[in-house]
Amino acid sequence: MLIINCPYCGPRDQSEFSNGGEAHVKRPDGSKEIGDREWGEYVFIRANPKGLFYERWVHTHGCRKWFNCVRDTSTDEILVTYKLDEKKPNLNNFKSVVKTPSGEPEVGSGNFTVEK
Amino acid sequence: MKSINLKENQFIQFHQKISFKFDGVKYFGYKGDTIASALLRNNINLVGRSFKYHRPRGIYTCGIEEPNALVQIISEYSEPNTRATIKKIYEGMEIESQNRWPSLENDFGSINNLFSPIFTAGFYYKTFMGPHKKFWKNLYEPLIRRAAGLGKPPKDFKGISNHIHHNVDVTIIGGGLNGLLAAKSFINSNYDVLLIDFEEQLGGIINNSNKISLIDNTEPKNWLKETIQEIEDSKNIKILKNTLVTTYNYINHLIAIEDRFVGSKPIEGKVNSTLHKIRTGHTILCNGHIERFLSFQNNDLPGIMLSSSFEKYMCRYGLAPSKEPVIFSNNSNSNSLVYSLIKAGLKPKAYIDSRSGEEIEPNLFDLIRKNDVPLYTNSQIKGAFGNKKIEKILVEDSSGALNEIKCDCLCLSGGINPDVHLFTQSKGLLDWDEKDLTYKPSKPFQPTITLGSASGQFNFDNLNSDINEKLKTFKVKKLDVKLELNTNTKYNIEKLWEVSPQKKSLWAKSFIDLQNDVTTKDIRQAITEGFDRIEHLKRYTTNSMGTDQGKISSINALGIVSDLLDKKVNEVGTTIYRPPYAPLSFSAIAGRNCYEFYDPERKSPIHSWHLKNGAIFEDVGQWKRPWYFQINKDESMHDAVQRESKNVRENAGILDGSTLGKIEIKGEDALEFMNLIYTNSFTKMKQGSARYALMLGEDGMVKDDGIICKISDQHFIATTTTGGAATVLGCMEEYAQTEWPNLKVFMNSITEQYATFNISGPNTREIMKKAFPNINFSNEEFPFMTFQFHEFNGVPIRILRASFTGELGYEIYIPSNSALKIWDNIQSLGKEFGLAPYGTEAMHLLRAEKGYIIVGQDTDGSITPIDLGLSWMIGKSKKDFLGKRSLTRSDTIREDRKQLVGIIPSNKADKLEEGQHIILDKEIKSPIPMLGHITSCYYSSTLGHDFALAVIKNGHSMIGTKAYASTSSMSTTGVDIVKPVFYDEDNKRLVS
Repeated sequence: MLIINCPYCGPRDQSEFSNGGEAHVKRPDGSKEIGDREWGEYVFIRANPKGLFYERWVHTHGCRKWFNCVRDTSTDEILVTYKLDEKKPNLNNFKSVVKTPSGEPEVGSGNFTVEK
Repeated sequence: MKSINLKENQFIQFHQKISFKFDGVKYFGYKGDTIASALLRNNINLVGRSFKYHRPRGIYTCGIEEPNALVQIISEYSEPNTRATIKKIYEGMEIESQNRWPSLENDFGSINNLFSPIFTAGFYYKTFMGPHKKFWKNLYEPLIRRAAGLGKPPKDFKGISNHIHHNVDVTIIGGGLNGLLAAKSFINSNYDVLLIDFEEQLGGIINNSNKISLIDNTEPKNWLKETIQEIEDSKNIKILKNTLVTTYNYINHLIAIEDRFVGSKPIEGKVNSTLHKIRTGHTILCNGHIERFLSFQNNDLPGIMLSSSFEKYMCRYGLAPSKEPVIFSNNSNSNSLVYSLIKAGLKPKAYIDSRSGEEIEPNLFDLIRKNDVPLYTNSQIKGAFGNKKIEKILVEDSSGALNEIKCDCLCLSGGINPDVHLFTQSKGLLDWDEKDLTYKPSKPFQPTITLGSASGQFNFDNLNSDINEKLKTFKVKKLDVKLELNTNTKYNIEKLWEVSPQKKSLWAKSFIDLQNDVTTKDIRQAITEGFDRIEHLKRYTTNSMGTDQGKISSINALGIVSDLLDKKVNEVGTTIYRPPYAPLSFSAIAGRNCYEFYDPERKSPIHSWHLKNGAIFEDVGQWKRPWYFQINKDESMHDAVQRESKNVRENAGILDGSTLGKIEIKGEDALEFMNLIYTNSFTKMKQGSARYALMLGEDGMVKDDGIICKISDQHFIATTTTGGAATVLGCMEEYAQTEWPNLKVFMNSITEQYATFNISGPNTREIMKKAFPNINFSNEEFPFMTFQFHEFNGVPIRILRASFTGELGYEIYIPSNSALKIWDNIQSLGKEFGLAPYGTEAMHLLRAEKGYIIVGQDTDGSITPIDLGLSWMIGKSKKDFLGKRSLTRSDTIREDRKQLVGIIPSNKADKLEEGQHIILDKEIKSPIPMLGHITSCYYSSTLGHDFALAVIKNGHSMIGTKAYASTSSMSTTGVDIVKPVFYDEDNKRLVS
């Protein structure tokens, strides 16, 4: 469970929001010729990284506004939220806890309780 | 075991007697007593039978860690597995012991103890395998369930729980010495602080033991009173008492449960517990430590108790469970019990320590010598013996000689563990301390701070510097507290997990988990059989899987396993600690979201009329919709539906369509937006006309349908399916905001603002004329798929000529508040024309006769408009709309896609069913290719037989051919594949 900082309303409980998947995926312009591959990737293919991720959320039970955020999928921490028309932040500005080769965070993966 | 009452204290009032019943017998306790302390006061120590072997069990501890003393509270909806060591008594409380029959003293199930050599780890897995699978379900499981287990599930439960949310800067868990000191630092600071304690009184170790003699040169009790007062007076600190933190989630999210009826009977209809959902910046864990036990033969006998628990009964409840207990320890934590006993004028019958004389603290040595307490150093208890209670113990002293000591009580201490449960739930990592022989918190994962014994600081020397150092991230006062101890010692422990029994016997039992009846022998056996990973071992033996989660024993098991495997304990690891810390009732989690509040019920403005007129309701999403109307109690659903549908075809029917989703779309660019959202083109559509429209997903599949009314290029009203309203509005919002923010368009739901009546049937025009005499309903003035705004008796209404039944029909939209009056009016006016209400089932039948689809019933998210035969609805000249490009994907232009067709039985008398598979062969021989399935199926009295809609592979080209529908009895019914229209194919009635 998270507290999400809606860019319009301020910090609110996660239960008021809905997740909208990867952010900054541009819908191909329908007035132009679109190849099968290009369209298929837009409809079906989304990134699913462990670590920092641009993501869309909507304040469903609030202002109904969509906005973007950077979330660390390995810790669930939302690092920043920003309006749709704002520039996307550089991921290098954030520290990801994912450091180990397998992508597990050093602490908190939940797979063990004692340091190995 | 003979107990005696000591001095009265602030927690227990000897002048306030309370009567309660245990197993039907009346006893007395005092105000402030727990069930356990009250039973001990009455010299009752046998309180239950064990899980597997039905062994007699007594009160082992004085707190939440209790594995044995679980009771059923008859007077509280028969709440089972209640810890007697926590639950406070009240006048008239009724308690029963668990897992015994016919009585606690003479329990038939104790025969299991005789057979115990065969009930070892994995017994059930190995034994109850055959001869057939059914044996488990029908014979073994019911038998085992009868014989094993703890309390009985309550028959009915009406507990009410509230949920409260907190959002604070700091949460301090545990109001003991360290918790209070931490809270003291935050007094009048700028931080919002929550201090949570499980008990009714703050103080922890100050109340529970005689360890501390002076704090800041004052009596600990006086210091406590002053400090609590200061904290209570501080405006930024809120104290939650009787509140147990059960869960520590990600992002510092805590769940805590507050008991609202401590020491009194819950009042029916009143909130009896509060679930606190806490979000906090930092969590400070001050939840202390738990003493562990030791394993030796019969270490489960009633009369055996943890030593700190004995001391807690003395200090907290003014009660010594025994006048002369024997103490057995391997560490210095039991020193203060010796001190407390002697201070109270009692003395231990013997003090047995596995440590050598040099290791034992000098001041304990002096105390024991001065009071002539028999002392056994370098000694171990080989076993405890007695019938349903401890009668004697066998001590092996330093010379190896055996000594028998008669006793009625044995106090054990196997060392102490920081209560790391919440710390590990927060995903922090532990580290094994070789000196103190326990796991201690090492790396936190979240902003978690541990203080005091919860952090593994078992001594008090660095109290101030430790707290000041760990709280330095906060702008708070520095502490300088002076502490003086009665037993001035450093924590010291010698490794001892288990003492092997004197005589080898199949019946000799040294328990490692008291609640689940796991013995040290089970652990050995599991390792021999290869279950040597701790998580496997736990599940195979069920060690630490009881409701106490092995709070006093799980570390001992790790110690034994590490010795057996000759591995370091850190290598063995621990099993993962999972929430909740202690059992949490489902009613507390459900809160108020139960019964009628489980899911909101939405009712149309006409609901009261439906109730009065025999409506049987159906749930559609959250809506209550009339399914059909019963004209008398004997009318079956089939009869009612046929009567209603026939009446629509012959006279006229009225349906309450208020639940249909209605969305109003406005704005400069509304037309362009609608063209992008729906497949249809609205550009050339005239103002005042309506159009049936489809909405697709980007994958080209049908997501919703509805009728779009065009008021102008800047103003539309769309209807949606009843269940899809929120999704459609959500989708419109999403695209308006994220993909086309340049379009000036706004949308809002008006579903509940307007009621909708769907009137249809050949007599409809006459009824409408009569109901709205000022409106011209002729075909010329009011053609099909147009709408008009009117005012009726001062009420603005919109009438749309459309139909979902295939008959001449009108939809009337009326502001909800005025709807019922107009509905009543139409009902009485319509009587002479045979108007009757119909429900959703008749509506489904009527629309299916016309081949109109229902999104979600005839489609399933894998059906395109082309599959439905609705290509005419696609605005092909439009540059773009949702899902347009997907309609030419290789997958969507395949010829063998499942397509909508009609199905009728070849033999008209045959019955069809929804969900039946359509196949080509008469005989079912697996594997058999499946063409598709029936999505809607009804009997029609208009047609005189069953008919169905189905989606089948390549269906459009199969129209006119024959196939078979498989039945559940593995036979088939011959069917004809036909066009999905069964009635009035050329729409004569629709436009009449």
